Amino acid sequence: MKWNVGMKIGTGFGLSWAMLLIIGSAAYLNIAKLTETADWVDHSHQVLETVEGVMSTMKDAETGQRGYVLTGEEPYLAPFNSAQGSIDAKVKSLRELTKDNPEQQKRIDSLELMITGKLAELSKTIDLRKDSTKGFNAALEEVKSGKGKNVMDDIRKVIDEMKNEETTLLKKRSDEATASARGAMFAIVLGTLFSLGLMTVAGFLITRNISSPLKAITATADRIASGDLSIVVTTDHRGDEVGVLTRTFARMTESLKEMAEAASKIADGDLRANIKPQSSRDVLGSAFARMTENLREQIRQLVEGANVLGSSASEIVASTTQLASSATESAVAVSETTTTVEEVRQTAQAASQKAKAVADSAQKAAQISQSGRKSTEEIAAGTGRIRQQMEAIAASMVRLSEQSQTIGQIVATVEDLAAQSNLLAVNAAIEAAKAGEHGKGFSVVAQEVKSLAEQSRQATNQVRAILGDIQKATGAAVMATEQGSKAVEAGAKQSEAAGVSIQGLASSVTEAAQAAMQIAASSQQQLVGVDQVAGAMENIKQASTQNVASAKQLEVAARNLNELGQRLKKIVEGYKV
Amino acid sequence: MLELLAFQLAAESYALETRWVREVSNFKDLTPLPCCPPFVLGIVNMRGRILPVLDLRKFFDLPEKGITDLHRIVFVGGNGLELGLLADSIVGVRSIPASDLQATLPTLDGIRGDYLKGVTAERLVVLDMARILADPKIIVHEEVEG
Repeated sequence: MKWNVGMKIGTGFGLSWAMLLIIGSAAYLNIAKLTETADWVDHSHQVLETVEGVMSTMKDAETGQRGYVLTGEEPYLAPFNSAQGSIDAKVKSLRELTKDNPEQQKRIDSLELMITGKLAELSKTIDLRKDSTKGFNAALEEVKSGKGKNVMDDIRKVIDEMKNEETTLLKKRSDEATASARGAMFAIVLGTLFSLGLMTVAGFLITRNISSPLKAITATADRIASGDLSIVVTTDHRGDEVGVLTRTFARMTESLKEMAEAASKIADGDLRANIKPQSSRDVLGSAFARMTENLREQIRQLVEGANVLGSSASEIVASTTQLASSATESAVAVSETTTTVEEVRQTAQAASQKAKAVADSAQKAAQISQSGRKSTEEIAAGTGRIRQQMEAIAASMVRLSEQSQTIGQIVATVEDLAAQSNLLAVNAAIEAAKAGEHGKGFSVVAQEVKSLAEQSRQATNQVRAILGDIQKATGAAVMATEQGSKAVEAGAKQSEAAGVSIQGLASSVTEAAQAAMQIAASSQQQLVGVDQVAGAMENIKQASTQNVASAKQLEVAARNLNELGQRLKKIVEGYKV
Repeated sequence: MLELLAFQLAAESYALETRWVREVSNFKDLTPLPCCPPFVLGIVNMRGRILPVLDLRKFFDLPEKGITDLHRIVFVGGNGLELGLLADSIVGVRSIPASDLQATLPTLDGIRGDYLKGVTAERLVVLDMARILADPKIIVHEEVEG
């Protein structure tokens, strides 16, 4: 029969189990006996106690009887009465306890009789004492008869016998208990020591038998885990699981070696190796087979890809070279454009400032034209006032003319007066001349009057001349006033026309101002836009500079790519598919 | 000494002796009289007396410029006759020595020459009122009066 590992371990554990059972049973038996013996010891103690209780009860009864006899007082009868009530129960329990012992039963029978006798004697004595006159003496006589004492002595004797019997039994039982306890201890100690030794030997044997080959396999597995497949697993012909494990390990190592060899070939670029999976569930093997198949396919595609890559990389190199030169040209163009945009920006700024200035000027012009409009209105008002004043002047002139006419009339009157004075003077002179010598003095007076008349005439002539001048001047003034009125009328019309014109001008100027403001705003926006364009151009310039650098890098990268493609081609050509 | 009343007539200066002059007056309230010779302008009321007014210019063939109220009338009287003479204006009364009176200018002929007494150094033509008043031509007056 072959011993496999499970059986070996099972045998070892079974041995230990059996030993444990034996030791446990021995200990149980001994302890059970010990317990029983202890119960019997306890029983003996109980019997002894009960016997002592019976004895004590009897003594109580006797004590109560003596107290009553001596005193004749009822309370002294209490112990007697209680003993009489309880003694039967105690004897009965004693009989119950000593049921297993016939000797003791016999003694209890005789004890019961004695107790009955004693109690009867005691009752008799008490009854005698109850007669108050001669009770005491009669009772004393009864006590002195010694019957009671004899019965009591017999009771004591039987009780002592029973005690002795129980004490003997107790001693015997204690000895038995001690013996069984010692036996239990002996069985436990010896059995434990024996089983320890046995299990140590069995454990050592089983461990050596299983652990050593496992350790060897573990070391092998460790080397395989670290990738070392050069080991050779030696197989013995052990029939147990360890043997099977070793053989399986050897097969696995062999398979891994094959796999490694195939991988090594693949690593060398030889993809012609064909790996067969160890079983339908050989994940690694089938994966390996699939991998080589896929690799073959991929390498074929890779070869094609490398060829395409090589030619493409050459084209890319050509294209990137062109791209780099184009990027340089476009960077130059962008730089020029940026400069132009900057100039445009400055121009736009100047234009914006000019537009702002124009807007301001237009605003001022609008204000001025507004004030001009007001001025024309004021002119119209002023012209109206002038016209009124001209009318007033004309009226004054008319009055003046009328008054000068009146003056003329007055002057004519004065002239007439002067002429009449003159005539009067002449007449006076004639009269004086007629008077001859007597009229000489009168002639002088007439001469004076004539002179005055002449002066008046001259004065009136002067006044008339002046008046004529005045009238001429007045006429001229009237004419002038009329012309002035006409001129004022014309001026009013013209100023009205000028007002209308200026109003139109003001509205035009206001519109122009608004337009100029819009132009200013637009040119401001334009400036902002051009600024943004300038910023954008600057960004484009930077971007194009970066583009140039990138294009150069791209060119270098494309060259590298081309070289890489050539190298890849060479590498791929090294594979044998 | 000659006391003369000088007056203007048709831009010429004339004079007559004051002893013939009754009064000088304004030319006013002339009432034209029909059926009379041209030298009779009309009649005026002279302080209650109705007197004829003669125009010497008709006698002397002097240019006429119409009559205005600026004209004067010199009332003269003598030989039982009173009448008014039209004058442009009265210059005034003056006295000159009779010796200063020169003979009339030969240029003044005809009726003018008949009525003139002389010419003064101031070229005043002095009328001979005595002759004028005595002139038969003035008989018309009588006829008129009659």
